[in-house]
Order: sequence, then structure tokens, then C-alpha cells
Amino acid sequence: MKETTPLANKESFTSKFSKKLRNAIFVDGATLKSTAKAYLYLLPALIIIVVFSIYPIFRSLQLAFYTDFNFFTREGFETGTDNFTYVLNSQTFHLSLRNTITFVIGVVPLTIIISLMIALAIHSVAKGTAFFRSIYFLPHITSTIAIATVFQWIFHTQSGILNYILSWFGIDPIAWLGHPDWAMPALIIMSVWSNLGFGTVLLLAGLQTIDKGLYLAAKVDGAGKWHRFTTVTLPMLSPTIFFLSITSVIGSFRIFGQIFALFRGPGTANSALTVVYFIYQQFWEVRNIPRASAAALVLFAIIFAITLVQMAVGKKLVHYK
Amino acid sequence: MNIQLQNLTMAFNNNPPTLKGINTTIKDGQLASLLGPSGCGKSTTLMLLAGLYKPTEGKILFGDKDVTNKEAEHRGIGMVFQNYALYPHLSVLKNIMFPLKMKKVPKAEAIERATKMAKLTQIDHLLDRKPGQLSGGQQQRVAIARALVKEPELLLLDEPLSNLDARLRLEMREEIRRIQLEVGITTIFVTHDQEEALSISDKVILMNDGEIIQEASPLDIYKTPNSIFSATFIGSPPINMIKDGDKILGIRPENLKPTAEANSKFSGTVTYRETIGRDTLIKVKCGENTLNALLETGDIVNFGDTVHLTAEKENIYNFDASTGRRV
Amino acid sequence: MSDQTTLGQGPLSKTTLYILLSLGSILMLLPFLWMIISSFMTNHELLSINPRVFWPSTFQWNNYYRAMQVAPFGRYFFNSFVVAILGTIGELITTILAAYAFSRMKFWGRDILFAILLATMMVPNEILIIPNFITIANLGWVDRFEALIVPWLASVFSIFLLRQFFLGIPIQLSYAAKVDGCSDFKFLWYVMVPLAKPALITITLLTTISSWNAFLWPLIVTNITEMRTVPVGLAMFRGEAGSQYDLLMAATVLAVLPMFVLYLIMQKYIVAAASRSGLKG
Repeated sequence: MKETTPLANKESFTSKFSKKLRNAIFVDGATLKSTAKAYLYLLPALIIIVVFSIYPIFRSLQLAFYTDFNFFTREGFETGTDNFTYVLNSQTFHLSLRNTITFVIGVVPLTIIISLMIALAIHSVAKGTAFFRSIYFLPHITSTIAIATVFQWIFHTQSGILNYILSWFGIDPIAWLGHPDWAMPALIIMSVWSNLGFGTVLLLAGLQTIDKGLYLAAKVDGAGKWHRFTTVTLPMLSPTIFFLSITSVIGSFRIFGQIFALFRGPGTANSALTVVYFIYQQFWEVRNIPRASAAALVLFAIIFAITLVQMAVGKKLVHYK
Repeated sequence: MNIQLQNLTMAFNNNPPTLKGINTTIKDGQLASLLGPSGCGKSTTLMLLAGLYKPTEGKILFGDKDVTNKEAEHRGIGMVFQNYALYPHLSVLKNIMFPLKMKKVPKAEAIERATKMAKLTQIDHLLDRKPGQLSGGQQQRVAIARALVKEPELLLLDEPLSNLDARLRLEMREEIRRIQLEVGITTIFVTHDQEEALSISDKVILMNDGEIIQEASPLDIYKTPNSIFSATFIGSPPINMIKDGDKILGIRPENLKPTAEANSKFSGTVTYRETIGRDTLIKVKCGENTLNALLETGDIVNFGDTVHLTAEKENIYNFDASTGRRV
Repeated sequence: MSDQTTLGQGPLSKTTLYILLSLGSILMLLPFLWMIISSFMTNHELLSINPRVFWPSTFQWNNYYRAMQVAPFGRYFFNSFVVAILGTIGELITTILAAYAFSRMKFWGRDILFAILLATMMVPNEILIIPNFITIANLGWVDRFEALIVPWLASVFSIFLLRQFFLGIPIQLSYAAKVDGCSDFKFLWYVMVPLAKPALITITLLTTISSWNAFLWPLIVTNITEMRTVPVGLAMFRGEAGSQYDLLMAATVLAVLPMFVLYLIMQKYIVAAASRSGLKG
């Protein structure tokens, strides 16, 4: 009995697995004819997705290992891990990673906190919800390039409206886009401003789903306003905040277009060089496709690892109904 | 058009069959009910008739044509679903016209035929409404009009009354019968409600566990059940089943009559008494059995009384306890 | 909608909240207002320091004309419109067909294929751009509309969204339609598509907006001026116009105008659509 149990378990496990796999492939009631017909419906979407979303994943793995690659004929010759060695040891890549992390740490918490305050305020005033929401949301539908172009003008050292307003408080003109120390703050200000609307809309939707009865219950239990916020609002909102933090971190890691338009380059002394900008430089300016692919894979690995950490932390903190 | 099912078998994805070789014929112009408890295979049979499922084995014949492998859209049948399945985005008129549009009937003719059908089903004043604005009974009528508009030779009804309240159910039941007789269409009606099946059909096909138990006219199936299942499934209040050695005796409550003590077959105390319209239902505890008896108004019995009951010999059905068949 | 007494979310009174929200709104609108005002001023007025000028002495409508002389914005608009319209129509077609197959048809490999497609949503664009550029170059599509449109003709996210919507439509409707003589395609066209209008509007808006605002991909697959889309043209304009902020702002106003108009008309749908997904990226 004791000897047979593990074997039986193993068998049942493999048979369970093969049954699952069979069920995943052979759908109930499907015939050759119905399968052929369904794939005809799927064909247009599948061609595009296979060619432009699935094949490139494998292709970029392959590209990253070419040590000799002709940009113009797009042919690769020798292979090796040199590109990863280069990227991981490159001072410029390190700088781009530091800049990106600074940006993420600057943008994500600020965006979430301010969005939350705006969402709570909009939710608390009874009238004008839709009006305020659509105003705060406006930057979200606007091209990031257009926003960056406007901010380039707002950040202008001599004639920019921001420095003009700051002068009321006796602050001397700041070279927002010219001085390396101010590049990141400028980028963060602009990004927080343009990301607020999305966070607000999402959190507002989250607030509207909270059962009003919970507040009444908390009130009956003698909870004060602040206490009700921390025991009802925040826990009920935590899935939304969690989702928002994951998408904002991923989105912020991928920042590129804003920098391109705001600084017309990677900023003074590479002060606004981010990882995606580094990839773009390697790809488009240096024309080293394998190195750019290697950097892109490293970026993916970093984003993936951070998302996993967030998921693990989120599991502890997020309250699901 | 006669409908024939030959050895019709259906198994889903290597599971044990839900339908185990059904054979029956429904005659032209008849209204036949597929009756049985849920899971008995009656709905599967209907889906097979519609062509929405394909049988594992067996044949379906419409007239002398084998339609087993014909797709639903080419079978030219009309069907009414339990939840009516009206197209929510189309008006009543457009809903009724839909099958004609699929057949590419010219628009003017389609409108004329749809309006005629709406008159028959008495919804011609609702043609511009959307299904969402109609009551359940009205939606039902639209569904029937839509099923009949293309003048099919077979009408399938899948538990069409189960979503209606009790009063409307009676009304729609009569309506369905009226329309069916007026059009003269062969109709198959699925229901789990024996009373519904008995009241509306020319023929009742009683099913259980993927098999046909009995098929007969409503009166015959009531009067001459061929098995315990048949006897107990049909009739309300339910038939009394009394164990007697290796036999089981079945006696319908209305066949138990009060009698003098000397003639009585069963004697016991009244444990329950209820008036159902003109009749009185009593429960009588006789030994280990509790019998239902339906008494006429004349017989006055009170709670706690001792009563003596008997039944005519031809009204006592004998069943074999091991096979469940009538002997 | 919300009840102040039960919510009581903050220590601030309603009036204070309104004032703060209005101030915030001004802060949100200011860059756009300043963009519009700037676009009507002369460059001299814009760069004036003492006294600082905040309103055009005369509205320089001419700025728009001049901006279009410096760079072929008309052409950029044409390109962006073609890409957005054809791209959206194409994506709607592939999405409707695929979502129907995944929600209503029985075929071998359905569940496993769907899982694979969902997994591709996790891969960031940056990984795909380089190999895709090579594919496009090999196809000889650089500087052609195909490069701007074809890679975006299918979206797993849209397929997923529509499939979920389709699954919510009762299966009996498809039975009824079949009995009524509908083929799969006719049922899809006459019943499913009209019923899925809300989901299709969402997909249309998300696709149009992200197509109009796309930057990195069009930047990479267009070398010649004539094939630039509006964002690429705008990003390059600074180099062409020098520090003529009057023209730059006029060009920016032009670039954002179509989406502003769309937002004005479809505001409610766009906000709802975006809260169902991330829009950018």
C-alpha cells in the first residue's frame, strides 16, 4: 500500500495533466469542419499577431546574440554574449537606468497620491463630477509630443511662463531644460501633470463602487472621519491603487517620446537619458541592432522583476472582496 | 410532414450518452409533447431536431428526406425558445421579418407576411416596440410569430411557458393550441410539466434517462401507464404506490372511493385534509402507507376520522417491483 | 451621487473643495490655454520680458499659415488621418472576426490559443520594435503606409474586450438566428455587431486615439518628410522652425485639435473606455 501510493499519485497527476491539456486543445463538440471555419475567422488577426507580436519575441532573442550584424543588409554572422556584457557594463546604460529609476520613483507615488486627493475631492462634491473629471482627464488623450512641445515653451528659461510665475515669489529663473540638475524635476512635473487624469478617473470609478453601507456601519461603530478613510476607503480602493501602481511603473519605465520632444535629445550631459532612449540611440544613432535588442531584453527583465516584486507586495497589502 | 427519429443517440465529448437510441414518429399536423424530468434528454432531442446539435448515431427524417446532417439554417423549421431569444435591437416587426430577410423575400412581401403573422398572434398593435418594452406573454407571441412567419413545416417549442406566471401560462397554452390548429403545423413541444403536456398535446412522449418510457395520447398515458415511472410522473396529486409482496400497486387518488368497512381494501385515519376547488384531498394513514384520496364534494370527511377506501379492479395497476414494468 | 454625511471623507468643507478643484482645473487647463494664446502672438511678443505680454495685440492668424509653410502639416494630417481611419477599420474587422470565433465557435486549440494571445499582452512594445523594423525593412515597407498601418491591424486587448462582451450575449440568440436561417457570418453581422455597439465604440475610440498619438513606431519607419505623421512632424518641427515659438505653438494647436474635437463630442465614452484600460503606451 505504502509503496503503491506515490506511484498512483504520480499517475493521476500525469493523467490529470494530459487530460487538462487534451481539454485545452480538443474543445467539446469541435469537428474538423468547425475548426477549419473558426481558423478562417481567426486568420486575419492571427497573421498580424504572429508576425508582429509573437515572432518578434523570438527574433529579438536571436538578434541580441549576434556579435556581428550588418544594419543595412540586416544579416547576422557571429554570435555570443558580448552585447549583454557591453550593456551591463556600460556607464551610459547605468546612467540611463539610474535616470529611469529616479523618474519612476519621482512620478509614480506623486501621481497616485495627487490623483487620490483629486478623486476624493471630486467624489465628495455632489455636483460637477463629470465636469471636473473631463478637465483633469484632458492631457491623457493629448499626444505626449504635443504636451512636451507646450512644456518646452512653459519651461523656457527667459520667457517661460513657469519662471515668470516663480519670479513672483522671488525665485530666480531656472534653466529647467538646460541644467542637468533640473532636467529630471522638469520631466517629472510634466509627467505627473499629464498622468493625473488617468489615475483620477480610475480611482473615481473605484470610489463609486464602494458600498455606502460600509461607511454607515463604520459610523455606527464610532469611527471618525480619518478612521473611516483608513478602515473603509483605503482597503476598498487598494485593488485600484495596486493596478494603478503596476501600470504606472511599467509605463514610466518606458518613457521616451516626452524626452525626445522636450529636450530634443537626451538632455544636457545625458541628464534625461532613459533606458528606452538608450535603446533608441543604440538602434537608430549607433545603428547597433544586436546591442539595442540586448538592452531591450534587459529592460524587459527589469520591468518583469519589478512587477513580480510589486505583485508579491501587493498580495500582502491589497484587500480583495 | 411526418417526423421520424431512428435510433437517435447523442453523447457529448465521450461522456455516457444523454440520449440512448430514440425511435418515434410524429404524424403530420400533430402536436406532440416531449415530457420528462430535467436531464431526461428531451431538450437534447429538440436541439437535434432543430439541427443545433448533431447526433452521434441515428437518423432524423422529415417526411422521407434524411436531414440528419443538414445545418439548422437549412432545415426550414420554426422554433420558440424558453427565454424567447428575440433580437433586442430590432423592433417587433423587424424581429418577425428576420427569417424572411434571411430568405431574401422582397421587403414589401415580408412586411405583409409579418403583419399577417402578427395579427394571428394578436400583437399587430405592438409592431414598432422593442422586445424590452413588452411583457413576457407579448414576447412569447412575437417569438411564435417569428417562428411561423416563414411557414415552416415543423414548429419546435422549448419549454415556452416556463417563464410566464401561472395565469398567463394557462392563457398562452390555449393560444399555442389555437394557433397550431389554425395553421395545422406539426409541432413538438418540450415541457417538464405533465399537466401542460396532457392538456395541449395529441401525443405525449414521456422520456427518462435518455430513453422513451411511453408514448401515447394524453388520455391513454394517464389511464394506462406502462411503468412505475410513467404512473408516478403523470397525475396530480400523485398516484398512490403500495408495496404488495414483489408487486407494487398503483391507484390514482381519484379512484379511491369511500366505502363500507366490509368492502374496504384500505382503512386508516385522516391525517390531512385540503379543499382543491370542488374536490377534497385527504391523506389517510394505513399502516406504513399514507394514501392520497381525492373525494367528491358529497363525501364529508374530517381530520382524525377513520375512513375505509376501495378501488375498482381495473383502476388498480400492478407493477413488477424489480423491473418497474406494468404486469 | 455621493452623500457627504456618509462619506465624510475629509476635514474640508464643500466650498473649500470646490475652490481647490477649480484651482486644480485651472492648473490643468493653463498649459493648453497658454498654448492657444501663444499661437496667436508674435514671436516678439512671446519673448518680451519687460513688460511681459500675455495677450496678443492683434490675433496672428497668420501664424497658422506660416507654420504650414515651414512644414507640410497638411500632408502630416493626411497621413495621420489615413493611418487612424484605415487602422481603426482594419482592427475592427480583425477583432470582430476573431472575437466571434473565440466566443461562439468550437475549434481545436481554442483555449490554448487564447492563453497564448493573452500572454503576448505582457511583452512591452520596446522589445518588438526592433525586430518589427527589420520585418518592415525586409518587406520594403519603410516610408510606406503599410508600415504605419499593418502592424497595428490586430490587437489582443481589443479581441479580449469584445470576446468578453460577446460572451455576455445569450447563446439562445445564436440558436434562434440559426433556426431563422442565418449563417454564422450573417448572425455576426446582423445580430452580434449591432448588439456589441458599446464595446465597438470603446475599441474604436481607444484605437483612434492611440493611433493618432503614436510616436516611436512612426518615427522609426518614416525617413522622408512626406510620410511623417502629426506627432513625428511636430517633434521634428522644432528643428525646422528654430526658436519661433509662435509657429511651434500654432503647429501644436493643429496637432491636438482633432483629438480635442473628438473628446468634446465623445467625452463620456472616452473616459469610460479609458477607465477600462490604459490608453497610452
